[in-house]
Amino acid sequence: MNKIDDRLKFLHYQIDEDWQHVIVIDEAICQNCHNKQCLTFCPSGVFRENKEKKQPLLILYKQCIECGGCRLICNNIDFSYPKGGYGVLFMEGEEQL
Amino acid sequence: MLTDWYKAKKPRKIGKQGNLHNESSNVKKYDVIVVGAGPAGASAAYFMAKEGLDVLLLERGPFPGSKSCGGTSLIAEHTHKLFPNFWEECHCERIVIQQGYWFMTEDSLLSSSFQSMKLAAAPYNHFTVKRRSLYQWLVDKAKAVGAFVYFNHHVAEVIFDGTQAIGVEVSLPQKSRFFANVIILADGANSLVGERSGLIPRVSPENLALYVKETIALPAQVIEERFNLSPGYGSLIGLIGYPTAGFNGTGSIHTFKDSININVGLAISDFAISGIRPHELLDRVKMHPFIQTLLIGGKTIEYGGSVIPEGGYHAIPKLVHPGLLVIGDAASLVNGTHGINLAMWSGFFASRAVYESKKNRDFSVKKLSLYRTLLDESFVMQDLKANAKIASLQRELPYLFDLYTKIANDTAYHVAKVYSMPKKAKRKFIFKKITSIQPILKMASDIWKILKVVKG
Repeated sequence: MNKIDDRLKFLHYQIDEDWQHVIVIDEAICQNCHNKQCLTFCPSGVFRENKEKKQPLLILYKQCIECGGCRLICNNIDFSYPKGGYGVLFMEGEEQL
Repeated sequence: MLTDWYKAKKPRKIGKQGNLHNESSNVKKYDVIVVGAGPAGASAAYFMAKEGLDVLLLERGPFPGSKSCGGTSLIAEHTHKLFPNFWEECHCERIVIQQGYWFMTEDSLLSSSFQSMKLAAAPYNHFTVKRRSLYQWLVDKAKAVGAFVYFNHHVAEVIFDGTQAIGVEVSLPQKSRFFANVIILADGANSLVGERSGLIPRVSPENLALYVKETIALPAQVIEERFNLSPGYGSLIGLIGYPTAGFNGTGSIHTFKDSININVGLAISDFAISGIRPHELLDRVKMHPFIQTLLIGGKTIEYGGSVIPEGGYHAIPKLVHPGLLVIGDAASLVNGTHGINLAMWSGFFASRAVYESKKNRDFSVKKLSLYRTLLDESFVMQDLKANAKIASLQRELPYLFDLYTKIANDTAYHVAKVYSMPKKAKRKFIFKKITSIQPILKMASDIWKILKVVKG
């Protein structure tokens, strides 16, 4: 198990199944991107490489901790905050509900 | 694997709070709407409601502090002036009597630290607080004096009439609009409301730092033993050098009642080009031989991250617009390690300006500029101005923290180590060692640059 997943278990989320708040604007750009800084940058590992050519990136938006940094490192990433009440919850030490 | 993890996190029902107002209250006009219930927004809401203004505070999270992790330190004097004897109301974790900086290399640590019982009595100097209890306390205060607070309300955009801000648009699930004479943006470092409404330019990734943080639980007594503290007292430690892996940036350790925070951060642009994974950088700090021993037996209970404005004075956007003020992190009001107190003071100054505007029924830039004037005259802007060149110095000397920390540790090592060579030869040897790392002239020029910035 990689370290990100170990850490995510401390977090709570109100998951929005209907709307993804982090998106890649044009997947074709990702196909030709050799840097892929998003893969290492994200503190909660939202961006993962995908074997499929058509969709080179997986966006695990449900584990986003909403720092919003990704939109600043890449113009091809669009980040909004989740809808009211959704997204990450920091509830230190409390049992997951 | 992840699917199981998602399944384990069952969605909870989102409260209907505020939905009642969707239709009927659309006609209602508040004196002021505050976007974001952090330290800046909640303080502003409190001071305005206290003056009898009709205040609506909108927060996207379901409770105060739900979007921020861990804790921080609160400067006693700054807070006491706004909220007298706040330590009797706000739950503070520890009274800070020890402040230190640790200059670290891979295997060494040179520290400068001060501790004094003078800092242990009222009016104190610093407290450590958990963000959640701090935000909750401020929101409760605002509520108690009559501010309306709606949680689960995410403001997407400002509504304008011409150039005059007249309200805000709340996104789904409410999809409603609220109107007011003045809008106060306190939506944090990543002010998307300000940016999407065309009021704040997109932040540069060089001016925003990403910090990752872990909260590690340890018994109070263990913390006190390891940090050499009497019960109830705490330490704040800045970590410089090794923690940021060659980049300019900092780490820190905060002690709370029965946990500690350890964090580390770099400019977003540095994280991006370095290819360092933030959580791995944090692990690297935790594995340092002199940090590891502090954490023995500790249990991580939270992980998180956030962005912090670090562009300083020159990164401050336009703060006063027709019918709208920008405060706190959204206004880039962070000075080194000082942020929360600047946020609260900016909220207070904004409240004065809104109060005067309401009295005169004038919500123009001219009238609301009282906010900027009060900020400029206060320690907030004066201190930011005094440190204005630090951001550019760090850019000019990207090796500043790392290299000089190494040199200082090397020097300390050779001074501490006992050699069989005569003292005079040893001094020569040390001098040669240091100047082999950085030529003497280059060092002198860097020191000159630093002194110029410090002198202002």
